[in-house]
Parts: sequence; structure tokens; C-alpha cells
Amino acid sequence: MVLTVLKSDMTKSPGLFNRIASMLEIIETFPDEISDEELEGVLAVLPRDVAPTIRAVMDKDSREVGIAFLKMVASSILGAKRASERGAKVLLIPFNCPPEFLHAFDSAQPITSEVLSTLGVLALEGQGERYWDIAMGLGLPDHMCSANTIELGSVLGGYDFVPDAIVQTAPGGCDVNSKIHEFVSNYHKIPQFILEKPVDDSPKGRALYQKYTKNLISRLEEFLGEELKEEKLRTVIEKANRCTELYYELWDLHKEVPCPVPNLFSLFTYGTRFTMWGTDEGVRVMELMVENVKERLKNKKYPATGEVARTLWVYTSYYFDLANLFIWMQKKGYIHLGDGLDLFFPEPVDTSSMDSMIEGLANAAWNMPMTRQVGGEFMSVSWTEDVIHAARELKADCAVFCGHHACKQTWSVVSILRNELMKRLGIPLLTLHGDSWIKRITPVSVLQKELDDFVRNVVSAKKRRGRRRPSGMKEK
Amino acid sequence: MAGENMQKALSLATEIHNDEVRAWKDEGGRVIGYSCVMTPIELIQAAGFLPYRLRALGNVKTEKADSYLSRFNCSFCRSCLELALDGTYDFLDGLVETNGCDHLRGMFENWQYAKKSEYFHYLKIPHVVNEDSLDYFKAEIASFRESLERYSGSRIEAEALVEAAREQEAVRQRIRKIYSMRERAHPAFSGYEGTALVLLSSAIPANRFLELADKIISERERSGITYSGARLMLCGAATDEFDLIKAIESLGAIIVTDSLCYGSRAFSRQIDPSSTRSGAEEIFARAYLVDLLCPRMFENYARRRDYVLSAVDRAKVDGVIAMHNKFCDVHGVDNVQLRIDLENRGIPVLQLEKEYGSVADVGRIKTRVQAFLERIGARERMRA
Repeated sequence: MVLTVLKSDMTKSPGLFNRIASMLEIIETFPDEISDEELEGVLAVLPRDVAPTIRAVMDKDSREVGIAFLKMVASSILGAKRASERGAKVLLIPFNCPPEFLHAFDSAQPITSEVLSTLGVLALEGQGERYWDIAMGLGLPDHMCSANTIELGSVLGGYDFVPDAIVQTAPGGCDVNSKIHEFVSNYHKIPQFILEKPVDDSPKGRALYQKYTKNLISRLEEFLGEELKEEKLRTVIEKANRCTELYYELWDLHKEVPCPVPNLFSLFTYGTRFTMWGTDEGVRVMELMVENVKERLKNKKYPATGEVARTLWVYTSYYFDLANLFIWMQKKGYIHLGDGLDLFFPEPVDTSSMDSMIEGLANAAWNMPMTRQVGGEFMSVSWTEDVIHAARELKADCAVFCGHHACKQTWSVVSILRNELMKRLGIPLLTLHGDSWIKRITPVSVLQKELDDFVRNVVSAKKRRGRRRPSGMKEK
Repeated sequence: MAGENMQKALSLATEIHNDEVRAWKDEGGRVIGYSCVMTPIELIQAAGFLPYRLRALGNVKTEKADSYLSRFNCSFCRSCLELALDGTYDFLDGLVETNGCDHLRGMFENWQYAKKSEYFHYLKIPHVVNEDSLDYFKAEIASFRESLERYSGSRIEAEALVEAAREQEAVRQRIRKIYSMRERAHPAFSGYEGTALVLLSSAIPANRFLELADKIISERERSGITYSGARLMLCGAATDEFDLIKAIESLGAIIVTDSLCYGSRAFSRQIDPSSTRSGAEEIFARAYLVDLLCPRMFENYARRRDYVLSAVDRAKVDGVIAMHNKFCDVHGVDNVQLRIDLENRGIPVLQLEKEYGSVADVGRIKTRVQAFLERIGARERMRA
């Protein structure tokens, strides 16, 4: 009964979701173009923790993309807030759940735990720490993942939005993600629908995943009281296919030296993948990014004035201070070629029949970041192969592991990745320590210093040694 | 006094490369290591190998392992990896990986990366139970059987499998008996002894364990331990740390039951040996997956909770200690839900996060347990 009251009174509580939604209601009204003066006006009235994010996202040379991205996110979050008005149910999903198959239901509104946490960290005064502390107050261990525990802490606190159900796709890929969602499901008695990823890359594992995906869809149809319609699914998948084409255009543009892609586009890409892939808003953000980068390339207007290091972040980046990481890196000439969350390598889906589309959805889920790497048969192998492929294609000259402390799977095999990167490509890996969503663990100034030291003492030094090498001797 | 046979059991159980393993190897036998309770060890035994369950016995040194795994990984897995890297586990001829949890997967991958085993098989265990996952697991078990046959060079015959299933079921039956004797008003075994016997049951040949267990059971049938403190139940993560259990019991409490991975969860299943004569894969798939009481499984928390509640009731437990090793997510989260559910039923719970085998941590743990015992004592006094 308490939960029912809370559900119906979503506007009056201090929960993360409601605070974010209030902010996005303002952003929803933004014009598509904002002048520098208008932006300065907005920044002047924003709280201390929020202004740097808006400044970073609204970077002058890609402001149109930034606004479209924020509006797309607003559409996702406000869609959840207004779901009941249109008789839809809110389904909480982790980031490795492809949202497009939920967009194909009229009565479902997906909302992503990690995206909510990230928005809380980026856009709320005090960031996400108060919600994290709620979870800790319940006795949950401090080695939970802040990516989802921030948002779920708000849900557990009992004064925020409570989803109608959880669609859980992390089992097999991440224990901590799976367990915290299961906990919320038990704690609030919310139904949970599981799509387990078998750690089996053989045809047998693929076949099982196909079956699981079909079963999940059937269970959701029953829960939602709506049959997944072929035409609606086709429309969504065609848009998802368009996003896929644009993803590879952007991928190819990353290969250019100097790189014409702004550092933040990495975040925009997977922000789209995790929320609005397969929708008009998603297509628009992807199109605008590609257009922006092509224009930059044509005019030789590179985001960084000089390219000092091409960094590939092998898993997550840090999200508590975009200005002092992504934009700072850009100013220093440290190119962010993308991170592990960009490595979802989508495949175009055959839309000829319902079966082919469901098969394509299962494939999309299989290829989601984290699922395809550490949810693979051998975590070290699938992760290493993806990173090496990306590093080679994107001409990375170094790699960075952000060392998000909750990420036990990557931490358990990062030594193998480091060895293989050096052995096979001669690329050094910097291992940082910190929490990607909580600034109090490692402040951004420390991260900047470590990146500087690494680039100066390892990456640049290696390049200098390479130049001094006598002819005939080659770097690996 | 422990008695001669119990003393022998304790001596064998507290050594990784024990005398029984040495004797087995001296006779030309091969040993296959495994970690998870969902490994159908009957197949390993029927193929002519000695199944040996990995353990670290409280090993605190992890210098070598730490250059592979990180400090954000479970220290039990780091301890086991250390023992692989420092040569302690060189007596193993082969290894069976299971995807028990993220840390364990990392441990096996690093083990194989640093030091390849002569035989290696990856048995993939589903996280949910339904007809599709059971079919899959059945096929996985068939493939495990084939790989063992390839390694041994001969087929696993039905008779050998029935015999192995008979012995392993007898082992489980003896441990169940020992556990029921622990639950008496005057327990026949301490928690320390009970854990030792569970550990021993997966570290020596089954027939040797049965001989020893029968003598011990017979010796203890009429004896009982007098204790002054509370009756406790231990729940949670992989705990093969004798010293920790001893430390808890040194405070006057007695551990009368558990739901530990190296405890009652290892022998809760029952398999009719004759049923394995044909369609053994199906029998094992159901026994090992459906009966699995591990928080790595989804959609069955209620079963795990009810298992604990039933043990609390049966063993007349005064309080529950729910432990997890630092960075163990599956137990770390499950223990919170368990604590909430048990406390709602009036059962005192101590939720304890610890580092595996850390000597430095024992003082802190003892203080917390002492405070917990005082809480239970105060509660009992109030009731009186």
C-alpha cells in the first residue's frame, strides 16, 4: 500500500528519479540552438555540481548534438514519468539490455538503472552520494557497483519511483549487477524477468540464449497483456538498423589521424545504445554526431589542437566530472577513442519475419557491452580480443583501465589483458583506481595527474624511443 | 579429547596435500581438482580419478596471486590461486572450472594462463532452473563425461558409475548423519570438527573417508559436548578456515549447523545410485542444478531462505552469523536479504564481512561475535 501511494505521488519526493525528471522537464523546452550568451545565462543559475556537466555537453562546436542528446535522454526519463498516463508499465533494465525490443511494446517504457545513476551524478547537486549511502545504510556491502546502486539506493529508500518490473540481463555477465537488481526485486516485491547469458560461445550456448530470449518475450507479453506486434517491431528494428549503420560510420571516423571525433561522443554513443536505440530520437543523435564529425573532418577542425596520445579506455570511463576528464583530455591532446561500453559491435537485423527479428534481438543482447566481453566463455579471451581489435582499428597508442572498484570480473583478468596488449600490439595499459560514479573515492585531480604522468613517461617516451630506433628495428 | 580417529581426520583435513592423496599418487592415481558443489564428482571417480575439492585452509599469503588477480577480488580465490602458483597444487593432474562466480572464473582463467593443467574442462552451470537450462546442463554433463573418457583413455562404464554414485551418496549420507549429531542438545561434534569432516570428505578417496567416518560416528554416537554459550548457525561464503571457526567457538558458543558452501550445501542432495545406470546425465543435471543452494542462482532466494529457517528450527539455533568474504557480491547481497528476513522472524543475525584467512582480522571478528553473543544472552534473559 505504501508503495502504491509512492507510485502515485512521484512528484513530491526527493528521490533521484524525480529530481532528474524535474530538471529534464526544463531541458525538454530548450530550443535546438542556444547561443553562447544564453548558455552563460543558464550556467550562471545552475548549482555548482551541475554547471560543469552542462558546459561540457554544450561544447560550442557540437552544441547541436549535445542538445539533441539531452532531449533524447529527457524523452526516455519523462516517458517513464508519464508512462501511467498512457497506460504503460515502467520496466527497469540494466545497461546491457537492448532497449529496442521494449520500445516495440506500446505498453512498456524501459528505463536504465545505470543511465539514471549517471544522470544523478552529472546533474544533481550533491551528485549521487546520498542515494549510495541509503543502500549502504541497509547493510549492502560497499563493494556494490555505484553504476546501479546509486539509482537503486534511491528506489530502496522508499521515496522514489518504483518500477513495475525489472528485466534483468546481467546474470552470466556480472554478479554484482544481477544481485542488486534481484535484491530490489525481493525488497519491493517487484516482478523480475531474467535473461541469463550462458558463458558458452559455442552454437549450443547461442541456441540456449535464443530460447531464453523467446521465453523472455513471451513472459513480458503475458505481464504487459500485449502481444509483440510484427509491424511495430519491424519499425523499431529498422530504426535500430539505421543506428547501427551510423555507429560504424562513427567508428570509421575514429580511425582518422588526427581524430575528428570529440571525446564526449563516446558517452553519447552508448548513452543512445542504452536508452533510445531504435527510436527517432536515437537516430537523430547518431545522425547529428556523424554529420558533426564529417564536417569537422572536411574543415580540418579537430577537437584537440594536437594529438599527444590516442587512448582507448578498456572498460568504463569516469562520469562524475565530464568537464575535467573528457574535455580536459581533449585540451591536453589526449584523444578518448571510446571505452569498453562502446564495444557492442551491433549487427544489422534481418526484418523479413518475426523469427528473424527475434533472432536478431537475441544477437543484439548477446553483443551488448559487458555481456559480449566478460559474459563470454572466457572473460579474458573475449575482452582481450575486442580491445585488441579496437586498439588496432582505431590506432590507439595506449590503453587505460579506469579500475572501477566494483568491477570484479574485469579486475580479475585485467592482468591478462595488460600482458596481451603489450605482447601483441606493444601498447601499454594504465591501471587507475577509483569509482566511476563517486568522486570521493579518487578525485579527478589525482586521475588527471596519473594520466599526465602516464602519457609523459610512458606513451610519449615510447614514441620518442621509436623515433630514435635505428632503421630496420621496429616497435611491436 | 578428539579421539584417535577424529585426530587422524583432523590431521588429514588440515593439510592440502595429505597422506591419502600421496598414497593415491604413489599408486599411479591421478587427481582432478574442482571447486564448486555443482560438479558431478561421481563422473570423475567413475573415470578412475580422485576428485579433489580446491581449498585454501586459511592460507594468508597471496603475493604471487596478487600479480594476477587484484585486491578487489575475493581473497579466498586469491589464496587458492597462490597455492596453484607456489606449487602446492602441483599434485593435481587436471582441473574442472565452473562459473560459480566472477572471482572464481577469474581465478581459473589466471591459473590456466600462468600454468596450464594436463587436463582442463570447463563445466558451464546455468544460473536459472527451467526445462531449457536443464536440457543444456544435461548436455554439458555429457560433454564433461566425454572429456573425462578422453583423458582416461577408456569409457566410463555403467557399473563403475553406479559404484561411484553409491560411494559418493554414502559419503553424503555420513556427513548428513554427522550434521544431525551436531544438532543434538549436546552436540556430538563441534563446528570445527564438523567443518573438518566435510572438508575431508572431498580430499581423500571416498572409501577411505567412509572407513574413517564410520569409526568416528560410532565413537561419538553416545557422547556430547557441554557448552555454556549460544547455539549458532553459520551462513554465507566459502569458509574452510578452521581457525576462524575455532575462534568463534572459543568464545563459548557452539556452531551447531550451517548453510556454507564448504558445509551443508555440499551434501544436501540425494542421488539414488542405481538410477545412474542409464541416463545418468539427466539424474545429475537435476540433482546438481535443481538442488543447488547457492546465491549465484536466480529466482530461488526463497528456497535458500527456507533452508536456513528450517535449519534454525531443527537445530534450535539462538543466532545466525551470515558471513561473506570482502568483494563477494553473491553472498554479500544475499546476506542482507537473509538478515532482514530472519530478523523479521525474531532470529538474531550478525552480518559479518571479513577478509579470508586474515589473522589480523580475527580480533575484530571475535569482538563482533562476542557482542553478538551478549545480544543473544540479553535477549534470552529478557525472555526468561
